Order: sequence, then C-alpha cells, then structure tokens
Amino acid sequence: MTRLITGSTTNQWKHPSIQRWLYVRDLLQTLVARNMKLRYKRSVMGFAWSLLNPLAQLLVFSFVFTTVLPLNIPNYTVFLFTGLLPWTWFSGGLIEATEAIVGNRELIRRPGFPIAVLPVITLVSHLVHFILALPVLLLFILAAKTTLTWTVLALPLIITVQFVFMLSLAYLLSTIHVTFRDTQYLLNILLLLGFYLTPVFYDSTAVPPRFHLIYSLNPMYHLINAYRAILLHGVWPDFVSLSLVAGASLALLLIGYRYFLGTSSQFVEEL
Amino acid sequence: MGAEIVVHSVGKSFRLFHPRRPRTLQEAVLQGLSGLRPVERFWALREISFSVAPGKMVGIMGANGAGKSTLLRLIGGVGRPDEGQIHVHGRIGALLDLGAGFHPDLTGKENVYINGVISGLSRKEVSRSFDSIVHFAELEDFIDSPLRVYSTGMQMRLAFAIAAHIEPEVLLIDEVLAVGDISFQQKCIQRIERFKSQGCTILLVSHEPALIAEQCDEAIWLRAGKMVSYDKASAVTKQYVRERKLALKTGRAIA
Repeated sequence: MTRLITGSTTNQWKHPSIQRWLYVRDLLQTLVARNMKLRYKRSVMGFAWSLLNPLAQLLVFSFVFTTVLPLNIPNYTVFLFTGLLPWTWFSGGLIEATEAIVGNRELIRRPGFPIAVLPVITLVSHLVHFILALPVLLLFILAAKTTLTWTVLALPLIITVQFVFMLSLAYLLSTIHVTFRDTQYLLNILLLLGFYLTPVFYDSTAVPPRFHLIYSLNPMYHLINAYRAILLHGVWPDFVSLSLVAGASLALLLIGYRYFLGTSSQFVEEL
Repeated sequence: MGAEIVVHSVGKSFRLFHPRRPRTLQEAVLQGLSGLRPVERFWALREISFSVAPGKMVGIMGANGAGKSTLLRLIGGVGRPDEGQIHVHGRIGALLDLGAGFHPDLTGKENVYINGVISGLSRKEVSRSFDSIVHFAELEDFIDSPLRVYSTGMQMRLAFAIAAHIEPEVLLIDEVLAVGDISFQQKCIQRIERFKSQGCTILLVSHEPALIAEQCDEAIWLRAGKMVSYDKASAVTKQYVRERKLALKTGRAIA
C-alpha cells in the first residue's frame, strides 16, 4: 500500500475578487438566458407551456375541492394558486437541479469553470418562470376581488428565503446524485408525498393540533403560509417563523456548499 | 507577464471499483455499503516533475492513455493530484473541448456569447471582440442563422475563433489542431505562434512529433503515466521517432 501525500494545485495569480464576481454574474445571466431561449424558441405557445402545468392542476383541484369534496375555503382558486406556484417552483427547480452536475460533464471538465454556479443557474431559471407567472396570479386576485395591500412588499423577502432553502438542498442533492444516480427518482417520490403533507391545496388551520409540531418542521409549510398571508389575507407574514426558516436554510446552505466543494474535485472521475 | 508552471513529483491515481459497485441508492441498500470502497488504485500519472519558464512552449506526447490529457486538466485545476504539487501562475486559457455549450437551435451570435462567457470572457469582452471573432471564423453571412445549418467545419471555425480571442497567460492546448482542413490548421498554428510571441506560456498535447519539434522549446514524452524523457523538443522528438521505427521493425509495441 502506497503512502499518499496529499497533492495540491495552486494558482498564485488571484482574480481580483470584484472582477470575479462580475464574471460569475455574466455567466449566470448568459446561461439562464440560454435556458429561457431554448425553452421558448421552438414552440409557438412559448411561455404558455410553462403555465399549462399549474393551470391544469388549478382547474382539477378547484373542481375537486369546491364541488366534489368542498373544503369551504373562501376564494379557493386564489388560495390554491398561491400555494401551487411556490410549490411548482420548489419541486421543478429541485428535480432539475439534482442533475446540475451529472448533466454538465462538458463544463465540469473545463479548466477555470466555477462549477458551484451550476445549481444556481437551474434554480434561477425556474425562479424566472415563477416570476413570469405572478401577473397571472394577479389577474386571479383581481377577479376574486380580494384586495392587495402594502404587505405585498414582503414578497421579495419570502422569495429570497425560499431560494436560499432550495439552494442548500440543491448543493446536497446534486452532489449525492453524482454517486447515486437514483437520487432523482427518490426525490420525485419524496416531493409527491411532500405535496400532500404540505398545506398546498388545504389550509394549515385544518391540521389537528397534535400534528402541528411535525408540520412546523417543514420549511415549505411556513413559506406557503407567508405567501398566503401577504397575497390572500393582506397581512404581514409571521416574521419569527420566516427568520427561523431563513436561519436554518443558511446553516444548511453552509453545510451543503462545503460538502459540494469538498467533493467537487472527484466529480471529474465519476462522470 | 511572469507566467509560470511548476509541476513537482505529481501523481494522479484513479480508484478502481468492484464491478458490482452500487451505482444507485437502491443497490447500496441491498448490497451493503462495503461495495462502495475502491478495490485498488490505478496510477494514471506518477512522479511527473517539470517546470515551464514564462513565455516558453512545451509539447507533451505519448500514446493514447499515457496520461497527457489528465496532466493537462490537473494543471488547469480540474481534479486534484494525489501526490505532489502543481503551481500555476497566471490566467489560464484552454483549447480543449472547443465549442462547450454550443446548441444547434441557437444562432451563431447567441452561441458566440454563451461559449465566450463559458471560456472565461466577460460579456463586455465578447461584445468588444464580436466582429473580430466573426471575421476570423469567416462566417459573416451565417452569424444570425441557427447553428444547426452550419457544417461541422463551420462550427469548428466558430469555436476556434472564440478560443483565439481569449487573452490567457497560460494556455493549455489538447489536439485541437487535428480537426479542420489544411488552411484552417495553418490559421490555428499562426494564431498559436502569435500567442507565443505575446509571451504566453503554452502546453501543447499532440501526436505530431514534427509539430512539436517545430513549435516547442522543450518536450515531454509520457508512457503509461511516467516520463520517458524530458529535454529539448528536437531531442525528444528524435528519440520518439527513432524508437517508434525500431518498434515497428521488431514488432514490439511501444507507447
């Protein structure tokens, strides 16, 4: 058995850090724009396709839970939409981000490419879809004659917290997926179960008190409640639970990012 | 410019796994985690030491699987050596995997921006060099058409034109000259000579002893991950050609 001396590669030449950040921003902008163009270029329907999935779900769920099994939630369509949109971003973004490393072999093998940007590109692309769908949600809100108040200003904050939470999971999932290629299937199952165990199409007040603790461990529970508070009820979100989610997500992001970086030198061998 | 590469007794091993190594969580659970451990190590590179002075050009030759590309990527910071140290001083540019990120459905122009930024240029730098890139590739009439109408040769021209506009201090080149017609190869070689005259430090991987003898100051010959010789380019290529002739005569395979 050979004794291994840990090797290293150093580049004494330092990119001026501001320039490096500007470069990563350019890279992010260019590759997100590439995703958008590819998605919309060859279909006449373009943007409508990305709305079709949530709208179809919206139609079916509103029919079921207002007519077949009435939940008696006022403005149910808007209520449902405010839960479905963040959930669609969450599940769609994570499923695709899991493949961020395995699906970009060419870029991983390129000297100087900042691979940590890859999961971010996927999540931002999905965030753009989410934001593009917001005007449609606004139409529903106007049609339902619920009133928007100043609390809407908290929307960027909630979106940011959800983004940090998703990014922390994306670093972990994309790294695990390099070793275990069925991570994505497993994630699909978990997300399907998560959809029912998160108050997306029902109200969190309907959950019996003895399950509250378990529910409150789910960050998406707090996030969807926050979206509903500002978009549907016109009140400020619960800032305490939102900061807890933000704090936990940041801690998880630190762990996920370190794990990602620590494993990243082996990515080339595994792909 | 002060660019410099120092490679000090570098070794790189790849882990060889049991053929039944679990590739999925499902298999890992069914077989137990023991199968995840590597069975043995295979050294793709061992005891590699050399240094390249600023502005010099060094050729790397050897048979397929000798470790040339692995060495080039390690110097570029892709993967980590298991032994030894590599020091690189300078902005690295790479002519390997030309055309990364190219997509047939996007126009030539869109692809120039995507590949340019992937290659390490800022958007501003791509905009500044855009006309010059299109001119170099001789694709003025096609730049707004989708890439799928381009011939393979046209795509290669565009890819090389973008790569020719990066301004590296250390340049890593991997066999890109093997593609394209004679006049395109000539153009590539001219561009590389210009990189050299600008003081760029260059590592060139090639199967062509003649090209290495003509262009490089020094050369390294790799066989099965070890250095066979490392000397003036003319001396190494002479030895390489001589041994290859000898091997052909005796029927013995050499790397």
